[in-house]
Amino acid sequence: MSVRSRHHGWVSATAVSWRLLIHRFSFVFFLSLSLGLLVVGHGQPKMAEGVRTHVMDSLAPILDALSRPMAVATNVMQHVKDYVNLQRENERLRAENAQLLQWQNVAVALENENKGLRALLNYKTESNLAYISARVIADTGGPFVRSLVVTAGKVDGVREGMAAMTGEGLIGRVTEAGNWSSRILLMTDMNSRIPVTVAESGDHAILAGDNESTPKLLYLPQDTNVKSGDRVLTSGHGGIFPPNLPVGVVSRASSGAYEMTPAADLGRINQVRLVDFNLVGGAFNPIASKIETDTKKN
Amino acid sequence: MFPAVWSRIEQGARRILPLATALLFILIGVVAWPIPYLGAVAPSLGLVAVYYWAIHRPDLFHLPSVFLLGVLQDAIHFLPLGLSALVFVAVHQLALSQRRFFAGHAFHMLWTGFAIVAVAAMLCNWLILSLYNGHGVAFLPVLLQTALTVILFPLPAWVLIRLHRAALSQG
Repeated sequence: MSVRSRHHGWVSATAVSWRLLIHRFSFVFFLSLSLGLLVVGHGQPKMAEGVRTHVMDSLAPILDALSRPMAVATNVMQHVKDYVNLQRENERLRAENAQLLQWQNVAVALENENKGLRALLNYKTESNLAYISARVIADTGGPFVRSLVVTAGKVDGVREGMAAMTGEGLIGRVTEAGNWSSRILLMTDMNSRIPVTVAESGDHAILAGDNESTPKLLYLPQDTNVKSGDRVLTSGHGGIFPPNLPVGVVSRASSGAYEMTPAADLGRINQVRLVDFNLVGGAFNPIASKIETDTKKN
Repeated sequence: MFPAVWSRIEQGARRILPLATALLFILIGVVAWPIPYLGAVAPSLGLVAVYYWAIHRPDLFHLPSVFLLGVLQDAIHFLPLGLSALVFVAVHQLALSQRRFFAGHAFHMLWTGFAIVAVAAMLCNWLILSLYNGHGVAFLPVLLQTALTVILFPLPAWVLIRLHRAALSQG
């Protein structure tokens, strides 16, 4: 072997070992950086929140564009399903309409009675409602987190802590509000805690998510007589949500364990309403406010 | 002059293809699909891309990009920042160390290798997140997501193989 080729061999061997060394160093560096980020993020949740909000805001237009074909597909599937079930759905709606008309009479009567009683007590309600409709652009859950990203942010009036609802009931609350997008933490997430009341018994509890489809009712009184089928409403304690928003129905009440099935189908959410109840004194009455809003519209 | 500029742009586009597809896979993975309850167990497409490009084009898919993709995935998925970054960096290293074994063999070997990597990534994710939260997080959804990712692996892998052959086979 010539001197030149031996020299060339030595040079390439050195280059390879250097490359290997640099690669190993960068592997250890980025592994340590990831661990460092985990530790810093644990101690400084606000910093992590800032990063997440900026990332989501930057990616929101791309996610919006990517989710549009999915939204169209969902609509088409829904239209086909509706067409197939047209007659059955019509019959069901007629029956439901008759029932709802009866309930409307009851609601109007109760509203009048409420107004009279409030006038007697000189009671003032201050519930400046603000509804913001938003489309779900990302189901960012995965197996560890239950959250959604929607196309409304601070520029639309969204604030952290707002209640997120569908037509059926509460689904969670806004945990991060970017300028153009917001993140909703669903009530089934393991970090979600919502103060609730069981309508039938009047018992207070904390609705705690655990990443399963049915969150748990914790801290019910020892002598509670909560049973399956009882309605669960927000209690309003803690000032996060106003009272009496529908949350779900008790689905399991045995051997000291209580679970609730959410009123809204959390697996099929396409549109949400973010509700700012502006809790400045007074109690919120959803029926009264709805009637008030409808009256204003008309 | 114009063809030279065009050629340079084309070359640049080819060079960023692995990173761009990995980013796109991460975004597609979180889009609200019209399939109820998919969100909780949606396959981890980002993991597929990291594994595939670490084996086939590590020269165009470096650790800093992998780390940033992981941070991005954490930010999108509302996970502790650094969790996916750590898993992606580890998967990149693991796949790279075994690339001679996986790259030269039939597709089923690539698939088997991915199954091993996916299970290791799942355990790593679950363990770190349980430690992070101070209690064991639900295991069943993690298991379902891993199973779905492994079962559906041929689909995203097929897309990556086609792109790889079309754009980078001479690169």
